[in-house]
Amino acid sequence: MHDPSLRKNPLRRSRLLWGSALAVVACGVIVTLLALKPHHGKATPGPAVTRRLTAEQFQNIIADVFGEDIDLGGRLEPDLRVDGLLAVGASQVSISPAGMEQYDAMGRAVAEQIVDARHRDQALPCKPAAAADFVEPCAREFLSKVGRLLYRRPLTDSQLQAYVTAARIGTETAKSFYEGVALSVAGMLSSPEFLFREEIVEPDPDRPGQYRLDAYSKASQLSFFLWNSAPDLKLLAAAGAGELQTKRGLARQVDRMMASPRLESGIRAFFVDDFRFDEFETLAKDSTLFPKFSAQVAAEAREQTLRTIVDVVLERNADYREIFTTKKTFMTPELGSIYRVPVFNDAPNGSPDAWQPYEFPAQDPRGGVLIQVAFTALHSPAGRSSPTIRGKALREIMLCQKVPSPPGDVDFTKFELASARGETTARQRLAVHATAPACAGCHKIMDPVGLSLEHFDGAGEFRTTDHGLPIDASGSLDAMKYTDSSGLAKAVAENPATPACLVDRLAAQALGRVNSSGERAWVKDLKQSFAASGYRMKPLIRDIALSDALYTVSAPAPRSGNTQEIGQ
Amino acid sequence: MERILKLKTVCMMRTACALLVGLAGVGAGAAPASAETRSFVVSWFSQATYSNDHDCSGGVHPVIEEIYLRYAQRLGVSPEKIELWRKEFATGEDDRELQEFVGMRGRIDGQPVNPFSNPASVIDLHMPGLDGKYAYGFNLDGKGTDDPNAFEDPETHERGVEHQLYRALGCARAFRGSLEGRPTYWAWAWGQLKESQPAWLITITGQNLNQDGPVSIALERALEHLRSNSDGSPRQDMAYRIDPDPRSRNVFRGEIKGGVVTVSQHGDLRLLQNPLVAPELDLKNFHLRLKLNPDGLSKGFMGGYQPWHAIYFGFAGVGLGGEQQVMGDIPGSYYLMKRYADADPDPKTGQNMRISVTYYIEAVNAFVAPAAALKDRQTANR
Amino acid sequence: MNAKLTRRSVLRGVFNGAAVSLSLPFLDCFLDEHGTALASGAALPPVFGSWFQNLGLNPGRWKPDRVGAGFKNNVELQILDPFRDRLNVISGAKYFLDGRPLETHVSGVQIATMGSLPLGTTFDPSLDTFIADAIGSKTRFRSVEISLTGGRQSLSRSKGGAINTSEPSPAALYARLFGADFRDPNATQFTPDPLVMARRSVLSSLTDERLKIMSRVGASDRARLDAYFTSVRQIEQQLDIALTAPSPIETCSVPAAGVQEEPGRTVAAVEKNNKLFGALMAHAIACDQTRVFNINFGTQGLRTPGGLRDWHSLTHEEPIDPKLGYQREVTWFINFATGTFAQFLAQLDGYREGSGTVLDRSLILWQTDHGYARTHTMDDLPILTVGRAGGRLKTGLHVVMNGDPSTRVGLTVQQAMGVSVNSWGKLSNQTSKPLTDILA
Repeated sequence: MHDPSLRKNPLRRSRLLWGSALAVVACGVIVTLLALKPHHGKATPGPAVTRRLTAEQFQNIIADVFGEDIDLGGRLEPDLRVDGLLAVGASQVSISPAGMEQYDAMGRAVAEQIVDARHRDQALPCKPAAAADFVEPCAREFLSKVGRLLYRRPLTDSQLQAYVTAARIGTETAKSFYEGVALSVAGMLSSPEFLFREEIVEPDPDRPGQYRLDAYSKASQLSFFLWNSAPDLKLLAAAGAGELQTKRGLARQVDRMMASPRLESGIRAFFVDDFRFDEFETLAKDSTLFPKFSAQVAAEAREQTLRTIVDVVLERNADYREIFTTKKTFMTPELGSIYRVPVFNDAPNGSPDAWQPYEFPAQDPRGGVLIQVAFTALHSPAGRSSPTIRGKALREIMLCQKVPSPPGDVDFTKFELASARGETTARQRLAVHATAPACAGCHKIMDPVGLSLEHFDGAGEFRTTDHGLPIDASGSLDAMKYTDSSGLAKAVAENPATPACLVDRLAAQALGRVNSSGERAWVKDLKQSFAASGYRMKPLIRDIALSDALYTVSAPAPRSGNTQEIGQ
Repeated sequence: MERILKLKTVCMMRTACALLVGLAGVGAGAAPASAETRSFVVSWFSQATYSNDHDCSGGVHPVIEEIYLRYAQRLGVSPEKIELWRKEFATGEDDRELQEFVGMRGRIDGQPVNPFSNPASVIDLHMPGLDGKYAYGFNLDGKGTDDPNAFEDPETHERGVEHQLYRALGCARAFRGSLEGRPTYWAWAWGQLKESQPAWLITITGQNLNQDGPVSIALERALEHLRSNSDGSPRQDMAYRIDPDPRSRNVFRGEIKGGVVTVSQHGDLRLLQNPLVAPELDLKNFHLRLKLNPDGLSKGFMGGYQPWHAIYFGFAGVGLGGEQQVMGDIPGSYYLMKRYADADPDPKTGQNMRISVTYYIEAVNAFVAPAAALKDRQTANR
Repeated sequence: MNAKLTRRSVLRGVFNGAAVSLSLPFLDCFLDEHGTALASGAALPPVFGSWFQNLGLNPGRWKPDRVGAGFKNNVELQILDPFRDRLNVISGAKYFLDGRPLETHVSGVQIATMGSLPLGTTFDPSLDTFIADAIGSKTRFRSVEISLTGGRQSLSRSKGGAINTSEPSPAALYARLFGADFRDPNATQFTPDPLVMARRSVLSSLTDERLKIMSRVGASDRARLDAYFTSVRQIEQQLDIALTAPSPIETCSVPAAGVQEEPGRTVAAVEKNNKLFGALMAHAIACDQTRVFNINFGTQGLRTPGGLRDWHSLTHEEPIDPKLGYQREVTWFINFATGTFAQFLAQLDGYREGSGTVLDRSLILWQTDHGYARTHTMDDLPILTVGRAGGRLKTGLHVVMNGDPSTRVGLTVQQAMGVSVNSWGKLSNQTSKPLTDILA
């Protein structure tokens, strides 16, 4: 890292002595500062975590290893959200019996497809002479290759032997080589080494007494972060050759992976998690009240927000905060009808709808992801909008702020009287939230935020009246006041909590846990760099991917050593 | 609040508006410099019916099975066979012989021929027409207001209304119904076609559509079919490209009064329809009244004189299966329309070639723009 | 008995001396009991079911008129009159918070199902897990979880924090219970499927290698992996059962697949799917596919078509009707939900087994999250049990608990189902006093 002032500082002969003394001192100070500055170093690393594969990671790995056309044939166990992210909950969930049934069934379904007539010749390096012949070298080669990709590290000799034996047993019992191999692969797909991401550590030679992830765990950590999937062959090779344990080797892989179109998968996976898009699975709107809303609209709305974000942070490598204010988005004709903007098809009658870029006109106050259906409709009940739910969601998702739970002894009578009159706007109904002292404390951080989105009804459609009365969309976010949703968007974009929240979440997603106290300095560092880069996500992602924090762990917990009682 | 809505509408319409103003060759001259435009897509189309208990003194036509047996009797089938066929109907037994008989009940030089493509070869059973007092429609020829036998529109109470197609078909079961309880044939036809037939677009342009005044009414065809919601209802606020084909571009001068748009300069309406039912809607002396509804369905009527042979061959296309399941006696409708046709006499035979008709339409809000202008814009943006 | 493939013979034959250690302790007692209990015509095994219905009932409209036997149901429970002889109504129970903040609609659920409030992210297993430990090892499925209003998280938690996934779709449950892997106990011919044999063998051969992960992970992760291994053992057990000729069960019949409603939060879907689930469970129990089930009615978001507000919103926003004295629309939902419960019970009761019905040998525990949803009360809770558990429970009683912890009922139920436990719950929710009134 150069100090620009040094370069520009002209040294003239007459001041050589002073100049060089100054330079030496300056260098010394800078070197000391550099050493002290915890740039990507940290005082105490956090613990290693074992994470269960998320549903999307499971699907991605199967597609990567066996092909996009493999059908999973089952349902994955639901993920758990902890501290705002499924990626963090992954370190706390296990697999229930019902879930295991599904994983077992899916493993078998996938394995059956791999050895079926269409796929077997590409997969296996041989053909058995007779159907029930067990061709050991062939099975060994195949299982070793597949195992390395599925386990994210080469199989140990005993592991490989176990799978070869399993394939033999399967072949003998089922009288079919392909069946035997399939059963062995199915076994791999339901083994803990596949389903859980174990962090295997080794002593850190650079920091005696501390531990770091071994090369393959490092590869996994990096690959799941950048691409939301298992390491590819190049990354595994780099791990095996020891390259990842060097700064240059790691940087080379990081740059390769960030230049790949697969980076978009990683970014999408992060926002799908962070923005709680898993809630789309249970999203339903009343069809009499919102006839335009449908499952197709919901799916397109989700995609719209993702495309909007990817356009800002990846395609244009722009300021992350622009996702809240940008007028540029993407539409399909169906979405156009919801937003009430003209989105013309560009294909013959009856063709499927295509995506097209759309920019809200200058005089249209709409823009950014907060007014998009994937936010407004996702955070509304089935029959109406909800300023409180939306305000809470905004605080929790975009600003990482916790909203306390409601107290148990709320008096709802005032609220009932307002509702009973029926024909009132949300602002009027929720007035009690602002006036009753017991309510106002918490609701003042939610309602004024959500009320500015009242032009968007329960299904995200724009409206000018609520129950026939005009809508007042003014509100405030902390100190910033505004008169409509574009003001809210600006307030969110300019709120310092917004970029800080992104950094916290991204770091947590990479680590699989919330950062520990010893890692705070590192995260603070990330935030400063993020700001300095103009809040661009690509440099932030690169920063995290190259951080030692991602790959060092605290001392492993002592083991009881006795596995006997577990094996019963 | 209405004001806000209108401003928002204008604001959102601006793109479409600008494109529309660029329409070449429209020439109606009714669009002043600062125009307000609203566009709609037709979301329902059927003959306007007002069936009630006092409109068929000759009786509502019997079911198709009964009519078949009448043909059998008139064509000399023995009474025993007719009874056998009647029993087969009742029990649902295999009635292949009957099917073959009715499927070829036309006669040319004594030989059985296809009755649907040769309706004049089929015996005319002289089924009764409708003789009720009320029918939706318009006084197309300006005459007959004092005629006691002429129709009166149940909504506007205009007298001397011409709707001879209603006289012709109004006692046939498949063609009876109301605006809400839709006649079988029309409901079936619309259901068959709405997901494929390029939609019809109506664009009203005027100074201020919330006030009475002159307007320009464009009726055009889109490139794409009507879009619906997942429950089948028509979808508001979709965007449609106007087909540049000149065979479906119509502009009429009209006026808006009390929220109802009417055509004042009655010309010819020509809109391509669909080859499965009717290739073209051709209405001479075109009349329209359409009640605009900013939030939901706009509803109204289109009337004029339509070539009845075209209507007939649209019906005939469904063939024997459609006759039994949907429509009823198809060649019978030929004779009824022939009897009641009331305009455009053939110079040689004197037979009227057009019949007055009123159609009921509903429409929802839409964005429209000429396809050609869009293509230019899209190419420019690449 | 016909010569049938026992687990031992299968495994011995297959492994041919390959050194594989197996450790599946249940199976020793499993085969014999499974064989004799049903073939000799002895009592059919008792069955446990839980039904969780949020948002409570209306105070003053559910408590029976008198204590003890011969009570008359109050208006909101009258729909359960057809089952009154097998019904116990327990009133006066309480959920204790011990100073912890009340998480509305959550704390009550936790105490009801787990007997305790969680500490951080550490949850105790739910009571059905203990019951399944005692009686669920003998059937193809340890337990079956159903959610009536969509969603896949159940209230059933196993040790190590795994939440059993619940099934929102009757069609999917049908496929699971009676699909390709179902072995009809009354089929005349039983041939073990070689593929199942192969699967079982392969699974055994991999066990040792898999267990090695336990020596590598940290202490906190071991509990989670323990749950994983428990789940794997479930699969092994299912395969063993699939390889054993089932003893004929006279009363077992496979149901026809019904046409389901898309799972979701509308009353129409709930009503339709509840009937299908009821029929499925009756058959599944009769065919001994499972002896434990958990149903989450799940009231959040439940709505009528065109209704602006769902049940939960209404409990807070609807005023009390001055003439009726209660919230009219909320009460509609209460009646709907309790009616759904009654329909489910009717399905079980409609399945005859000899001189009794499936419901007779069941014990269904009905609980809720609050006494009065409108004000989130945690006392005077309605708790119900329906069914005689094959004679292990006395029924037809109204029991009054004066402010005792609700866990007394949970403890009683566990003991009735054969769990050897003399205390359940934590802190003020801990109890060692079952309701002797209803224990037979």
